[in-house]
Amino acid sequence: MRYLALPLLSQNLTESTARAQTLSLYLQLSLQVSLSQRNESTMSSSSSSLPSCPKKVVTLKSSEGETFEIEEIAALQSKTLENMIDENCADTPIPLPNIKGKILAKVVEYCNKHAEVGVDAESLRAWDAEFVNVENTTVFDYILAANFLEIPTLLDLTCQSVADMIKGKTPAEIEKTFNIKSAFTPEEEEQVRRENQWAFE
Amino acid sequence: MAEWSQMPEDLLEFIARRLDTQFDVLRFRSVCSSWRSSVAPSPSPSRRGQFPILPSDGISDAAREFRLSRRTIFLLGVPRSRDETFACGWLVKVKEDVPRSTNLLNPLSRCPFTSLPEDFPRVLDLMNLRVLELGHEYVLQDMGYRPFGNDGHLHMKKVVFLCLDSGNDFALLTIHVSGQLAMFKSGEKRWSIIQDMPSPYDDVILFKGEFYAVDGTGRTVVVGLDLGVTLIAQSNWGGGKKFLVESVGELLLVNMYLRFRRERTVRFKVYKLDREKKEWNEVKDLGDRVLFLGDDCTFSASAADLRTCKGNRIFIADNREVERALRSPGIGVYDMKSGIIGPLEDDEGCSRLFWPPPDWIASRTSEVQNQLETLVV
Repeated sequence: MRYLALPLLSQNLTESTARAQTLSLYLQLSLQVSLSQRNESTMSSSSSSLPSCPKKVVTLKSSEGETFEIEEIAALQSKTLENMIDENCADTPIPLPNIKGKILAKVVEYCNKHAEVGVDAESLRAWDAEFVNVENTTVFDYILAANFLEIPTLLDLTCQSVADMIKGKTPAEIEKTFNIKSAFTPEEEEQVRRENQWAFE
Repeated sequence: MAEWSQMPEDLLEFIARRLDTQFDVLRFRSVCSSWRSSVAPSPSPSRRGQFPILPSDGISDAAREFRLSRRTIFLLGVPRSRDETFACGWLVKVKEDVPRSTNLLNPLSRCPFTSLPEDFPRVLDLMNLRVLELGHEYVLQDMGYRPFGNDGHLHMKKVVFLCLDSGNDFALLTIHVSGQLAMFKSGEKRWSIIQDMPSPYDDVILFKGEFYAVDGTGRTVVVGLDLGVTLIAQSNWGGGKKFLVESVGELLLVNMYLRFRRERTVRFKVYKLDREKKEWNEVKDLGDRVLFLGDDCTFSASAADLRTCKGNRIFIADNREVERALRSPGIGVYDMKSGIIGPLEDDEGCSRLFWPPPDWIASRTSEVQNQLETLVV
């Protein structure tokens, strides 16, 4: 079982449950809003239960309540957001209670950049390299956000940058880079010791 | 606070899958419990270097059967510290045919090292050494051949290996004595000769999961598992021996040719692939990179990692023309800038890369290890 610590939702929630809960919360909110909108509407009924009004901009809400606007086309790079947008298109901001504002801002920036047309591959690669040229604690948050929002290109980029930080290092150096306390069972400890040595005849 | 040990296992696996060498995966699994359990160690025998006996049908009338041996080239070093006296790197080729028993070979030839020095540890602890896996080599050993108790090599040309998706299946490509390419796929009963050969092939390599081959004229192809051949670059030249080598994710062609000025000497030119134009374009300066051209493998490294060697150089081994030019056997070092080749022994910095093992190996007592641990930056 994988666990994600979500401050606003209950403890010990799995990824998919978190997504499902967020989606359900969003749907409930937007359904209420669209119902009240329809009551006030003077448009003759077209008897479609879910009006497919094209929306240009989507609003996202961070864990601290900060809102960020993102063009729908950029948001579609996130499968999670794509699902939420498809389901309903009311005005309510999409709550993302497990992503901090600081990180969400950068994810929005990433999606916007990658939705741009006419950017040549070379300069996009350079931009990407700069994007992950940050403290690895930030990359950690990017990975979790990219995973939750299901943005494959961002997940790829961030995981690759972590792999690049690991290459060629000793276990001690890796632990130091990522601030990990190495904790093995005695059996594992022994296996690790044996794997990291060469015995000559 | 980022708790890397708490990252979900599927994400840890994602990261581990992007490590290109088996040794880096081993290191990943040596960090902490959660990282260890998120990635399986190499499970398949092929990946571990244990292969079934191979037939010789289709490729040799003399040999009966072949054993495939895999060796790995490593660059060992001490993590950077303020005390640079530990600087020198060590290049070794390791054979792990027998589980838990390691043999050290000279990286650029088929010969084992002369016996290890007395103070050389029986067990080398790699925990606090920087280990870079630079490449693999595959050698076909004729099982019926046993001269003077040696390793029994049939003089096959270079063999390259591709592990197929399942992990248990693999394919091999080599150059037959006729100059044609020959391929073997696990499970088959014989080797298949590839008929396409306008000119005899000089070298083969596995690059980005595909087999590439170059002939004496520079014509380069990709060889598919269906034995089909796709042109990658047209012929350019007449003479010289061609080598294919990978450096920083790019495929390079090295052409070794003879020069007769005042005396007979050997020169090298390096080329980078232009896929669109299907041409090889000359590269005059390798920068920090150093290329190694051996009997059975080619690999490259950065001078910064080698530490005692300058960049923009090519090491070439066990080659008759080189030995004639140098009037000595062994490894030659070619300086791209000056165009001059010299014996390895003449270059103090470079020769320390091979033999004898550097001081920090012999003095691997726990006292020294503790010291090193505190110096890790």
